[in-house]
Amino acid sequence: MTRRTRRWAILAVAGVLTFTLAGAVVAARFGASGDVETLIAAERSAPLLRVADIGAGNGKPARGVFAQITSSGHFCLWDAVSASSPQRQGGCDPVEDPLGGRLLSASLAYEGGPAAVDVSDARLVGLVAASVAGVQVLMSDGTRREVLLKKASLGGEGFQAFGFRFGRADLRRGVGPTAVIAVDETGEEVDRQPTGFAG
Amino acid sequence: MQRMLVAVAVLVLSLAIASVALGGVYTYAGPKQWSAGQGAGSYYSPDWLANYFATYGSGYDKTVTFIDNKQYAWHNTVRNTKSVTETYSDYGMTDKGHCKAHVTGFWGSCSVR
Repeated sequence: MTRRTRRWAILAVAGVLTFTLAGAVVAARFGASGDVETLIAAERSAPLLRVADIGAGNGKPARGVFAQITSSGHFCLWDAVSASSPQRQGGCDPVEDPLGGRLLSASLAYEGGPAAVDVSDARLVGLVAASVAGVQVLMSDGTRREVLLKKASLGGEGFQAFGFRFGRADLRRGVGPTAVIAVDETGEEVDRQPTGFAG
Repeated sequence: MQRMLVAVAVLVLSLAIASVALGGVYTYAGPKQWSAGQGAGSYYSPDWLANYFATYGSGYDKTVTFIDNKQYAWHNTVRNTKSVTETYSDYGMTDKGHCKAHVTGFWGSCSVR
């Protein structure tokens, strides 16, 4: 074997080995995200049901709060412009436990930041158990905002949904949410989810 | 030797890019155990469509966002405790996926597609 032939043989073997190794790395990555890939495919085909509204504000159009039950066994709650929009913000939990074992499950979406004063729009969407009497947002200046609840029947179970847009006056002052609080008929706190701009 | 190294580098890079271009999911952090305040990011690309933070179980406070390569501002940020937290990338923007944990002691991974 000439020197040149040997060099090419080594290169070919190295190529095959690299291919195998890289393939294994890619496969491992796909394996680790397999659940996400299944969810992505299921999200594409499952219909969305509008369960609450988010009013226009901060120079942005009105949006909706959408629930989705997928074939992958997920219950997803989205903040989106419309049911057909692929640009959705939110997330998914197992369909048998849409509230993740709690009375309240909220999702904060915002544009800008991470510093609070740089946030130009912020919205909260969520779901609470039917037994919850009210939802309040605790702000970073200590004040509270009341959130309107709307009844929603999802998967044969009763919930209440909400959508809320934070006002420009708060955002300009760098005031943002710190927690979402569920209360009972007496005003007693029954659940709390910390939140806020994540700088 | 030099030629071989170049060939290997090109091959690895091609495979990584091809896996994403084929509509796959690129996991840029984890699966691992997370601590409060810990974050991770993907590389910058104009092709990202969505960003995911998936955990084993739900109830873990976390954030996903996209950071642009000009102002390094955060876009379409989402914070919640769902088992999969998800957001999208604005069309035409070169950005990187970024995820952040707000609590300690859960397992999860961050991916973009």
